[in-house]
Amino acid sequence: MKLLLSIFSISVLAGIATWFFPWWMIAVCAFIIPVLLNLGAGKGFVSGALGIMLLWLVVILMRDIPNQHILSSKMATIILGSPNYTVFILITIVLGGLIGGLSGLTAGLMNRAFRK
Amino acid sequence: MRKLLAILFLALTAAIVYLLNMPLMGGKVPAFGKLLDPVNGCWVSAEPVNKSFDLNLDIPGLQGPVSVYYDDRMVAHIKAANDHDLYMVQGYVHANFRLWQMDLQTRAAGGRVSEILGDKALKFDRTQRRKGMVYGAEQSLKEMEADPRSKQMLDAYTAGINTYIHQLKFRDYPLEYKLIGFKPEDWTNIKSALLLKYMADDLTGYTEDLPLTVLRDALSPNVFQTLYPERLQGSNTVIPSDSVPQTASLKMPVAPADSIAWAHLEPVDFETPDNEGKGSNNWALSGSRTRSGAPILCNDPHLGLNLPSLWYEVQLEAPGINVYGVSLPGAPGVVIGFNDHISWGFTNNYRDVKDFYAIKPASPHTYWFNGKEVAYTDRIEKIGIKGKADYLDTVHYTIHGPLIYEDRFHGPDGLKKPLALTWMAHRPSNELLALYLLNRSTNYDEYVNAIHQFLCPAQNMIYADKEGNIALWGQGQFVDKWKEQGRYVMNGTDSSTLWGQLIPVAENPHSLNPSQGYLASANQTVTDSTYPYWYNGYFYEFRAWRINQVLRGTHYATVEDMFALQNDVYSVLAANVLPIMLTHLNVAAISDRERAYLQYLAGWDYKLSAESIGATVFQIWWTNFYNLLWQRVIKGLPEQLMPSPERTMQLMKQDDPILGNMDELLVASLKNSVDSLNKLKRLNKLEWYHAKNTSVNHLAKQLTAFSYTDLKIGGWGNTVNAAKGNHGPSWRMVVQMGKDIEAYGVYPGGQSGNPGSPYYATYLDKWVKGEYYRLNFTPAGKAPEHVKYSWNLNPGK
Repeated sequence: MKLLLSIFSISVLAGIATWFFPWWMIAVCAFIIPVLLNLGAGKGFVSGALGIMLLWLVVILMRDIPNQHILSSKMATIILGSPNYTVFILITIVLGGLIGGLSGLTAGLMNRAFRK
Repeated sequence: MRKLLAILFLALTAAIVYLLNMPLMGGKVPAFGKLLDPVNGCWVSAEPVNKSFDLNLDIPGLQGPVSVYYDDRMVAHIKAANDHDLYMVQGYVHANFRLWQMDLQTRAAGGRVSEILGDKALKFDRTQRRKGMVYGAEQSLKEMEADPRSKQMLDAYTAGINTYIHQLKFRDYPLEYKLIGFKPEDWTNIKSALLLKYMADDLTGYTEDLPLTVLRDALSPNVFQTLYPERLQGSNTVIPSDSVPQTASLKMPVAPADSIAWAHLEPVDFETPDNEGKGSNNWALSGSRTRSGAPILCNDPHLGLNLPSLWYEVQLEAPGINVYGVSLPGAPGVVIGFNDHISWGFTNNYRDVKDFYAIKPASPHTYWFNGKEVAYTDRIEKIGIKGKADYLDTVHYTIHGPLIYEDRFHGPDGLKKPLALTWMAHRPSNELLALYLLNRSTNYDEYVNAIHQFLCPAQNMIYADKEGNIALWGQGQFVDKWKEQGRYVMNGTDSSTLWGQLIPVAENPHSLNPSQGYLASANQTVTDSTYPYWYNGYFYEFRAWRINQVLRGTHYATVEDMFALQNDVYSVLAANVLPIMLTHLNVAAISDRERAYLQYLAGWDYKLSAESIGATVFQIWWTNFYNLLWQRVIKGLPEQLMPSPERTMQLMKQDDPILGNMDELLVASLKNSVDSLNKLKRLNKLEWYHAKNTSVNHLAKQLTAFSYTDLKIGGWGNTVNAAKGNHGPSWRMVVQMGKDIEAYGVYPGGQSGNPGSPYYATYLDKWVKGEYYRLNFTPAGKAPEHVKYSWNLNPGK
């Protein structure tokens, strides 16, 4: 239950934060929520990773589907050398997930190291 | 231990985030975190395919309400209550759709690319500065700001762009800013002036003065005259013979003695000329030659093919103006188009307005002129370089102009001799005022008055109006030159070589309603020898020969006939030289390997059609032959400046002895060609359009995913449809000036500069196929049709 709460809280908070502040607020949000919820390292990682992945997936789909993949195919060509937008979307999300996961993991480690 | 681990991961996470927030490897790798962020990064440019562009917006500075209608092709129709609001909103609209392109092109014009890309662009930036681009733009800006009409036009346009820029957050930046890693900066009037100089450089920057200087010294006078005639005979000139004014108010100056006039150059490297012909076509038929009885005007300026497109299609309407056509993002007004009364188009005039003078330095700060030491005027060019300290380049200005090449900045391949540049683009001029007046002209006299403000780049300006007139002016500011003045590098130490008086623009070559019933220009020689002033230039004849050939036989022309002519791919060159090549070819000396390709030439119609294999065989064989031929005749000399293909064709037809024995060259060149042809065959690319690969590339060349290549279009520089590799018809327009104007057009791109937009390259298919859109011009006082989206803009706080 706490895990689900953490995931959704991270998604929502990171979405709001990056609307107003730079993209790296995802790392801050994926850190703060597990700290507040006092999660462990494992749950911290999972909630950070899934929270950011969920946010990024939703935003990407909201932008990419109405665009009929025009942009994502071209960006995939630039970055991957082939117009495979699915792979490009996955890579983007994994990148977000990695940052979120690392932040959440750090938060979890901090919780265990510094809290009594 | 746990604490250490936690801190370790904190540091690791922070480091990764930090690295993802900045470009790496000197900008080669973008800041991936910033770029891929779905909320603020590249994904924002994913424009919904059915996005509504409707908008209600208050814009501070507007004096009244302005409406902008977008039709089903996203052409903006701007309707304002006064000039100020009209140009302010044009600036806003241009920025809205083309901001990155406007920014990049003006930075390039002004030599400021190093600020974005680092010192790999320093050489380019220094070249731009040293040829006086910024200096020239400043001169013109003074002139533009001195006239209240062009000043208001510029000020309002700049304000409109800045209104748009100021409302942007990082999230809203055009995609290329995020990919390359820079950001928009405020627009200023000098940027528009720089953009106009960018066009002047593109159109009058070409020069043969340096190689001709070497060739004249190296070849016997007779051979030199034969290979590089001052004027090609047999041109179908821009201005028909019976239209050339026979009187001149200025006398031709007396040429100084050769020993005083000329400088001499040791072998140097040269700008590689593109001899296959580039340029543009325009023509107008009077009603006597059209089915409808109304004049038809046609224009297709050939320019670099890029995305976002050079042109932005627009209609501008306010009291006193209702004009439709193509505009340059970065400059107010319409450049080529029509209004309720008249239509006009441009081709490049190619008269030489860029000359070089050899400077004799007396000391590091002075040079010799008329026997005296004269101090340079120094202009310090500060070039910002990304990640490094500014680079300061001191450019010496002489009485002739900037010292473009010298010891501190070699010309191509180490030309050390100090050369100064005299260039019409350095002189003050107000082309914006010309456009301002042209857009509002209602008859021939007003058109003439308008274009007389247009001084550089000189253009062949075609005209047709509703009253049935057609006209053509070879318009620009020219100098009354002595014979051959500026054809070679001149001696810069003597005042007798200076540019003399300006020819009054009213005496420029022109024609109004000529007896032949049509007028046509395609960058060919401007006049015949009866024109009283001396000039040289870089003229191309093939397209003009073809257009004249077709128009002479045209009596009931329809707009469809004009479409066909703009898309004509008949090669006058091939029709003339191929029979000679085949006759002289020693069939016994070639093998089956070569013979197999010759079969494609049997019965070939001399058309460079997209799918023609004969076209590929001819073009490759011809190019090889042409190179071999001139390498032999001018061996040891800079081979880059070969006699023109037109001259080569004439010499071949005359069987001129200077060519020597062509037979063995034909065999050798054919054998060379077969290697290239076999390679194409292996790649399955023998068809002409594959072989030539016409491409429309994104302005940032490394972003190939935003480019379109291998387009299935025929033609080449020497055919009317001059679609070359990266250069071709940038805007095809046909306007029938009847009671109701019937206008058609297409350009190889789309209205939006956003690669993520469905409107990015919308028109490309039609352009490739040679098809046209009916232009949705709203006559003054009529309600707009085909309205898809509308903007209601109001004055705001």
